[in-house]
Amino acid sequence: MTDSSTANPAFLQEAIRKRRSNQLIKFLLALAVFFLVLWSIDATVIADTDWERIGGLGAILKSLARFAELDFSLIPHLIQPTIETFMMACIGTLLGCLFSLPVAWFGAFNVTPNRVIFYPLGRMLMTLSRSVHEIVWALIFVAAVGLGALPGILAIAMRSVGFISKITAEAIENIDPKPVEAIRAVGGNQFQVMYYGILPQILPVVLGTIIFEWDINIRRSAIMGLVGAGGLGLTFFRQMAMFNYGGVTMVILAILVLVIFGEIVSHYVRKAVT
Amino acid sequence: MPILSVKDLKARYSSKGPLILKGISFEVEEKDFFAIIGPSGAGKSTLIRCINRLVEPEEGSIHFEGGEVTALRPRDLRRLRRNIGMIFQEFNLVNRMSVMDNVLSGRLGYTGTFRSLFRWFPTSDVRRAIELLDRVGLRDHINKRADELSGGQRQRVGIARALMQEPKLLLLDEPTSALDPKISREVMSLIRDMARELNVPILCNIHDVQLAREFCNKVIGLQDGYKKFEGQAVEMQQSDLEAIYAMEVL
Repeated sequence: MTDSSTANPAFLQEAIRKRRSNQLIKFLLALAVFFLVLWSIDATVIADTDWERIGGLGAILKSLARFAELDFSLIPHLIQPTIETFMMACIGTLLGCLFSLPVAWFGAFNVTPNRVIFYPLGRMLMTLSRSVHEIVWALIFVAAVGLGALPGILAIAMRSVGFISKITAEAIENIDPKPVEAIRAVGGNQFQVMYYGILPQILPVVLGTIIFEWDINIRRSAIMGLVGAGGLGLTFFRQMAMFNYGGVTMVILAILVLVIFGEIVSHYVRKAVT
Repeated sequence: MPILSVKDLKARYSSKGPLILKGISFEVEEKDFFAIIGPSGAGKSTLIRCINRLVEPEEGSIHFEGGEVTALRPRDLRRLRRNIGMIFQEFNLVNRMSVMDNVLSGRLGYTGTFRSLFRWFPTSDVRRAIELLDRVGLRDHINKRADELSGGQRQRVGIARALMQEPKLLLLDEPTSALDPKISREVMSLIRDMARELNVPILCNIHDVQLAREFCNKVIGLQDGYKKFEGQAVEMQQSDLEAIYAMEVL
């Protein structure tokens, strides 16, 4: 073996030494991560939990079992909030689409009215919409317009803008420019160029995205009530406050039914449009 | 009195880019089928797009129907464009729209924003669209989507859309380059016959010299942004063609 080696011995030794020191560094790094994990478990879980209150394993199971005693008397009171949650998701998504129109227009590089002012503005609005959590949006709107479904709708609309307008803007940037040229050549105005040249090309992607967002918005509107913005979340919050754990489970089941319904509808409609 | 006269036209795509057209002049008369030939990259497409200002010319003048095209403001430019029909190499149809809606979109220059929002074209336009589609042989395809048609059929939709404008001039940008030789001849004959019927002059980019000889009466030859040849199609000699295509190296 050594005879067939063409590398010079000094180079060979150097390479082996380097490999060993690299392995040592990797081992030390892994060790450091291991102790970091141990330390954080100690600091957050072991030191920060009220172990005496939990009691033994039996006590934990007993606490959990309270959730299993379903409270069927709640059913009549769930129908209206369920509908309200569903409506919040629908109207919020629609309103979000409406807000998305100008944002997508501003934020698509090839059609933006102004590349220095409106393009960055559009991109900024997209990021703003997504970087603020829906609960935070809801808190802002509850403070602005009071309790009820309206702040929930507004929060969902604001939160939806980011995703819908971003995907729409990207679809606009990827269109085939040839039909657009044809509509300009027949003397179409700005609106006609967009409506006849661009919209038919992006429609499947945009519709698919809107339905996907609507599906997500059903989940979002189910928790809006936690901050006083109506729907099933509000019922959840009340049952929790009354320590009626069976009722809490009923609300969770209602949310589950609604979400599954949304997913089924979303699956088939998305298939139909794309 | 020429319908279109172009004088000393210069154009480039971007302010720092190279000059594509380096001073082109020619005139299109009332009954012309006017061909622009030349190698790829000679500036044929740029030249034809300067006429309806899809490309902004840098210098020179374009006179169409007695008015100066290069000075038009946006509103008047749209009015000009609706008088100039254009047929494209790749048809440039909206694929997800029906054949009928594609043809009707030729009327957008005459249609208000509100009406166009609901695709609410006047009955007279709809009737004309059906007649044109019948005339170009697509009677059975009116309600199909544009992308369901073959290449030759799509170009016929393109022809109907251009004629829907009731144009005073037709611009053809390599109308047969995406079609096979037999269908190319059919499409060229159809355009020639319909233009004669409606009395519309044609300005046509074409790289198939044989087709240009067959269908056109006048020819200019471009090479690298300069005009190398101008004359009647029948006068064109082999030596002229060699001069025009001499620089085709790529």
